[in-house]
Amino acid sequence: MTERAPVHLSADSEEMEISFGPQHPATHGVLRVMVKIDGERIVETKPVIGYLHRGTEKIFERETYNGCIPHTDRMDYTAAATNNQGLVGAVEKMMGITIPPRAAYIRMMLAELQRIASHTIWLGTHALDIGAQSPFFYTFEEREKILDLYEEYCGARLTLNAMRVGGQPFDLPSGWTDRCRAFIDQLPAKIADWERLLTKNRIWKLRTVGIGVMSGADAIEWGLTGPPLRGSGVKWDVRKVFPYDHYEEMEFDIPIGTNGDTYDRYLVRMEEMRQSVRIVRQCLDRLPDGPVMAKVPKVIKPPKGEVYFSVEGPKGELGYYVVSDGTDKPYRLHVRPACFINLQALPELVRGHLVADLIAVIGTLDIVLGEIDR
Amino acid sequence: MSLWALVCSLIPFELGQGLGVTGKYFLRKKTTVQYPEKKMEPTDRFRGMFGFSEERCIVCHACAKACPIDIIHIQDHFVELEVDGKKKKKKVLDRYDIDVKRCMFCGLCEEACPTAPVSIWLTTKTYETATYERNEQLYFTKERLQNWQGVSAYPGVLAPNAGMLPEDPMGTKPKAAPAEPAGKEGA
Amino acid sequence: MTTPWMTYLLIPLIKIVVILVVLILLAAYLSWFERRILAFMQIRIGPNRVWPKGWLQAIADALKLFSKEDVIPARAEKLVFLLGPVLATAPALIVFSVIPFGPSDLLRLTDVNIGILFILGVASVGIYGIILGGWASNNKFSLMGGLRSAAQLISYEVPMGFAVVTVVLMANSLSLVKIVEAQKAQHVWFAFPGWLAIPGLIAFFIYFICGVAETNRNPFDLPEAESELVAGFHTEYSGMKFAFYFLAEYANMVVIASIATVLFLGGWLRPFPNVAALAFLDVIPPIVWFFAKVAVFLFVYIWFRGTFPRYRFDQLMALGWKVFIPVSLINLMAVGLGILLLGGPR
Repeated sequence: MTERAPVHLSADSEEMEISFGPQHPATHGVLRVMVKIDGERIVETKPVIGYLHRGTEKIFERETYNGCIPHTDRMDYTAAATNNQGLVGAVEKMMGITIPPRAAYIRMMLAELQRIASHTIWLGTHALDIGAQSPFFYTFEEREKILDLYEEYCGARLTLNAMRVGGQPFDLPSGWTDRCRAFIDQLPAKIADWERLLTKNRIWKLRTVGIGVMSGADAIEWGLTGPPLRGSGVKWDVRKVFPYDHYEEMEFDIPIGTNGDTYDRYLVRMEEMRQSVRIVRQCLDRLPDGPVMAKVPKVIKPPKGEVYFSVEGPKGELGYYVVSDGTDKPYRLHVRPACFINLQALPELVRGHLVADLIAVIGTLDIVLGEIDR
Repeated sequence: MSLWALVCSLIPFELGQGLGVTGKYFLRKKTTVQYPEKKMEPTDRFRGMFGFSEERCIVCHACAKACPIDIIHIQDHFVELEVDGKKKKKKVLDRYDIDVKRCMFCGLCEEACPTAPVSIWLTTKTYETATYERNEQLYFTKERLQNWQGVSAYPGVLAPNAGMLPEDPMGTKPKAAPAEPAGKEGA
Repeated sequence: MTTPWMTYLLIPLIKIVVILVVLILLAAYLSWFERRILAFMQIRIGPNRVWPKGWLQAIADALKLFSKEDVIPARAEKLVFLLGPVLATAPALIVFSVIPFGPSDLLRLTDVNIGILFILGVASVGIYGIILGGWASNNKFSLMGGLRSAAQLISYEVPMGFAVVTVVLMANSLSLVKIVEAQKAQHVWFAFPGWLAIPGLIAFFIYFICGVAETNRNPFDLPEAESELVAGFHTEYSGMKFAFYFLAEYANMVVIASIATVLFLGGWLRPFPNVAALAFLDVIPPIVWFFAKVAVFLFVYIWFRGTFPRYRFDQLMALGWKVFIPVSLINLMAVGLGILLLGGPR
């Protein structure tokens, strides 16, 4: 790992320690960052987490497998569908269940819509952190439309609880595919609008280009996944490498960056939204008929053993490590959260930058404290 | 080419483009819904306030078992009935309480319910359940669950004991048994 | 009839009261307009509840701030803490004493023959309110906000001054009234005629951008950068003291817009004051023209706020020192040389 030159303080420097958060408006929830600064230059950063700890992993141990699913909704609360997808995928892998193709397609659509929704919320807050107010409202408008689609499908907007072990609990309501297609068709124009506001904007570029640089090798060493990894130029996407559901049938590209800075991560996420649109469109075109639920026993009792299964969440690789003792409740259910591991790189990314860049880097890591603290 | 790049770097065209975008939205129709006056109608499957039907309930405790956070509290006792001259035991519901303030509206209780039209359901479209006091106001006994004292129903939603749940909002309910091919778009 | 007592005391007093009331109302309503305009840009509706249709929102806000608890942090420097908002607000209001709203003597408090100098001098005092307020709060975020504000104001005061001097050279006067009259005499409405239009335009843009920076508005709103410094220098202020900072910011916006109108857009003159074909525009009184131009300016300010991200602190400094100061200096020299060689306006 390349070592960065430490920041040398001049003799008359006056270091000051400030506490960013947990109530700071730009820490995306309740992250607390202890920052040692010299003037406005950051000398040392220490993220303090745990303000949103709810013991989710412990709670899992007393729930039935299907009962765990609503709890996963609350981890990364901006991406409930992919959280569900990971857990049910893990249990299905353990029990050797193959879900019906229609259920898999519905899952992929929900997951890709969720990726768009999560990226819109990221873009809005990231832009707001850097000082542009309006994208926040534009992106939330689109996100609301996705949530409307969710509400129509499963009855909830945020905490979906939309997947079960063995398939989908319910079929798509009539007309859903048409409304989804209408949404998907108008989305690229909106993304272009957001890009017109930001991509070429010289202020946006000044604030993001060259900020929080991480090389591909470093990113792998730090265990980064998702857009922060791809922004550093590493072509790694769980959907391509270990395809689950029916992603192997889908055509989509993995956008990667070159410099590994905040701007590249921004571009990667913008492109990912377009690729998600592509995937949803393919799903809608090829949506098969058939049942949505496989044949599963009424009480889910996976055989003794352990399994790791991961999905590509909007924030990165979201893994579930399930240990079963043969009963209807998991013996241990560990979550590999993408945000928690991505956040580790924060002190490395901001060292030597200014306070304003800390905000930009927190934004670009796209953290959700619900998932970090669990 | 480089001259053009220099001119571009001096004159902020792209900032003008950005102003154009906000200007466009300035003239656009607004998306705000003025809440207390106008209300968005929830979709048919919307998981809102509970509905409960004591007549249909067979006191099987499936909902209480399915609930991930154990907020459904059921008490029952057996009574002996004479049906067609045979003695039969029947469960009678004493208490059916839901601590709604802790509910996370996952809908697993409704899914677990085995009766044909389900006897506990959340598809009432009712979401205005805010109260000034949560411990008592949001604790629903079976009587309150059936007439919602203290909670305003969504316009057009009948109180649970008067009306039934909306017609099969979840589509053909897939059971764990060999799944029958469901219609392409559900019901 | 006109006794000295009337000319020198009574009439100025009435004018002062009228100007103050109008200005404070303008600033209060500017905040409401800003919220509405921003909301419209963000596909929202904005404050529309206070009867009628949100028109009394500004009054409601003021009442709310009056009734709020006035918190002074325990370890704050009390006297300076109290002085901060006053120092910020007073200069913004004083500047209005020399701004001419119309051609007649009644429409301005006074016409000082060094009006521009007076404005530059007085307006710069306002910065003390921000620095002292930020320092006295005994809060690290406030301190950083105050320091940023100081650095920003000092760096942007310079190119702004150069831009103003350019106009002074063109108009050959320091009095605001004379500058407007010069613009009329030289057969133009926007900036200045002939070859002077180009440096005039450059000076106008520099003045405009520096004005945005001077008032700490987006994209230069670093002293109160919400996402970085919570609320910058006024983090610890509440109640009426906060209201005074608020008032100062909006009054400063009106001031900058008014000066820009006077210096570059012909003040109270109608568009193209010497084109006879447009004489029908004279129906509209001059003061309306003045405030219409100010309103356009303010709208652009708010438009900026709705669109742009925020500069970083060092980038802001670099922009000020490496772009605006050289450009404004070259512009000023070009105008000076041009007037010397080609003969300037008389």
